[in-house]
Amino acid sequence: MSQDAAVGAASRTGSRHKKAWHLAERPLVWLAPLTLLLFVTYVYPAIDVIRYSFTDATLLNPEYAYTTDSFKAVIRSPDLPGILWVTFAFVVASVILQLVLGLLVAMALHRGVRRRLPGVSVVRIIILSAWIVPGVAAGIVWQLMFNEASYGFLNAVLRGAGLSPVAWLSDPNIALWSAVIANVWRGTAFSMLLLYAGLVVIPSSLYEAASVDGATALKQFWYITLPQLRPILLINTVLISIFTLNTFDLILPLTGGGPGRATEVLALYTYNTVFRNFDLSNGAVLAVVLLLISIVFTLIYVRLLPREL
Amino acid sequence: MITGQWPYGQSEERAVAHVVVSQLYKKYGELQVVHGVDFEIGDGEFMVLVGPSGCGKSTILRMIAGLEGVTGGEIVINDRMMNDVPPRDRDIAMVFQDYALYPHMSVRQNLGFGLKMRNAPRAEVEATVRKTAETLQIEALLDRKPKQLSGGQRQRVAIGRAIAREPQVFLFDEPLSNLDAKLRVEMRTQIKRLHMSFKVTSIYVTHDQTEAMTLADRIVVLRDGRIEQVGTPEELYARPANRFVAGFIGSPTMNFIEAQVVEEGNGLRVVPVGGPPLAIPKSRAQRYQRHAGRPVILGIRPEDVTNTWTEESRARESAVPLDVAVEISEPLGSDTLIFARLGNAEIVCRASGMSAPVSGSAIRLNAHMDRMHLFDPESGMAL
Repeated sequence: MSQDAAVGAASRTGSRHKKAWHLAERPLVWLAPLTLLLFVTYVYPAIDVIRYSFTDATLLNPEYAYTTDSFKAVIRSPDLPGILWVTFAFVVASVILQLVLGLLVAMALHRGVRRRLPGVSVVRIIILSAWIVPGVAAGIVWQLMFNEASYGFLNAVLRGAGLSPVAWLSDPNIALWSAVIANVWRGTAFSMLLLYAGLVVIPSSLYEAASVDGATALKQFWYITLPQLRPILLINTVLISIFTLNTFDLILPLTGGGPGRATEVLALYTYNTVFRNFDLSNGAVLAVVLLLISIVFTLIYVRLLPREL
Repeated sequence: MITGQWPYGQSEERAVAHVVVSQLYKKYGELQVVHGVDFEIGDGEFMVLVGPSGCGKSTILRMIAGLEGVTGGEIVINDRMMNDVPPRDRDIAMVFQDYALYPHMSVRQNLGFGLKMRNAPRAEVEATVRKTAETLQIEALLDRKPKQLSGGQRQRVAIGRAIAREPQVFLFDEPLSNLDAKLRVEMRTQIKRLHMSFKVTSIYVTHDQTEAMTLADRIVVLRDGRIEQVGTPEELYARPANRFVAGFIGSPTMNFIEAQVVEEGNGLRVVPVGGPPLAIPKSRAQRYQRHAGRPVILGIRPEDVTNTWTEESRARESAVPLDVAVEISEPLGSDTLIFARLGNAEIVCRASGMSAPVSGSAIRLNAHMDRMHLFDPESGMAL
């Protein structure tokens, strides 16, 4: 008995002593390691990029001076409007197609799971595997698919069907769409995953009530599924816009930005400016532009989150 | 609270429906949940399907709604075979257990959804929504979303959504089970009022026998996918077909006492195991005569073992004095439940007033043997 009391007292004083280190008492101490890690890995590089954007640095010359000329040069660059247009077309087309395809696949999967069809999980794994593939690998795979040499898969199929082959990657008007197809192939899985999660939580009784109320399948989709998925669709749109905007690993092995500049999106243009033209300061300016656009999307995302979910 | 008549245009020529369910079977894979159920619901009748969970009552309702496929048998509404008709073409409305209100729509849109789906003109939808809201006194809520409503308000909207449709048949799937006790009683009365003013054929599923007794014109008692008995509340209460129905209907539940029927010189008696013999009234003697010498289950409701002991009941041959040992008493206000020992059995008695006898004491009660039941100990069937 007395021993218990002693132990209890000891643990009580112990806890009083420890309390000084509780998260609620001293949050900064507990947040410090993560803050430090984030600062070193995210904030410092970002600040450094911003710093470089105000210099005339190149990769070839370690000497540099501070100036705003790089901003003027980038804004006046004759390439920029074309790059921005290609980026815009690439992002919008990719996002729309990923949303539509992702929703179709998610609904098919959802239906399959509810009906307990065999093979549903295999389909899910196959779709997800496209997402796990690194961008560079996906670019190489699609390079082979689109290839206009004899081993190009899509043209072989077209030839087999008696159709004339398509200049998937060498026609400047088609190459961007080829890049979109490759990107959608990779990105659909992510949309599917989010939208599937959204579909699963829609109560089935809503569909039952709607069907008793006289709604056809199409009307159920329009009046129940879409409004119920609205928050997920919005968030999904913002997220895949950010992902797509920053895509360059996929396009680099696929077309390298060509033919000409037909597929040179902003992220790839930035990469090329720094690592092909060795122009660190202009590249830094472009990176800042990318960062600003991403921040705008992120702010939209942050605004959506609490209100919609 | 609910006022007015069926408020809408076609009320004069509105057809009331007749529902026939015959030899209905339902199987999920190897699991058979409904085993050949037959019943009929007349025009404007309020039918309650009641039974413990897992008895198949909801499945039957969902088959009538068309939300579940039929494995065998037929569902006929107004002489039209409905087995393969999709729910939207059955002209039914359903109130769901979780209300299933469309969360992204306002109350107004929820009420008008069914009409909108049937391409009713906008003005008609609006007029109907307004009248429905008036009927249910939810006009003030029309612009709210379901999330902003209390449980009882959601319940009204769900009912409103069903009546706005002017269906031939109302289906209710345990609509009150998510409400607290007080609200449940209130809404029960409202549903009854609604039915009395609209007289629409209704099928109502519940596991609550009180709801069944208070609402129903007739009740179907189900167990394990089979019908135990169909009848009016009075019939089920006074003449249960078997021990299951006897135990299910009425609260507190009927006392079941192992006993034996014996014939003694001047009449028939039922003797609880370890207890005193109780005279069977002459009105029942003939019916039970052939069971003399057999073991039976004596069933008697708590309200039929009471402390009321008027001159009149004393005069009635059927009122048998019964001495019991009180174990616990629970005063309810209007009356008192007395848990007592009768021979080897524990029984519940219902005495009027707040006369809580001390536990351990022996009291004399009055068993109304003209309301006794006997059941076969093996089959459970009423004898």
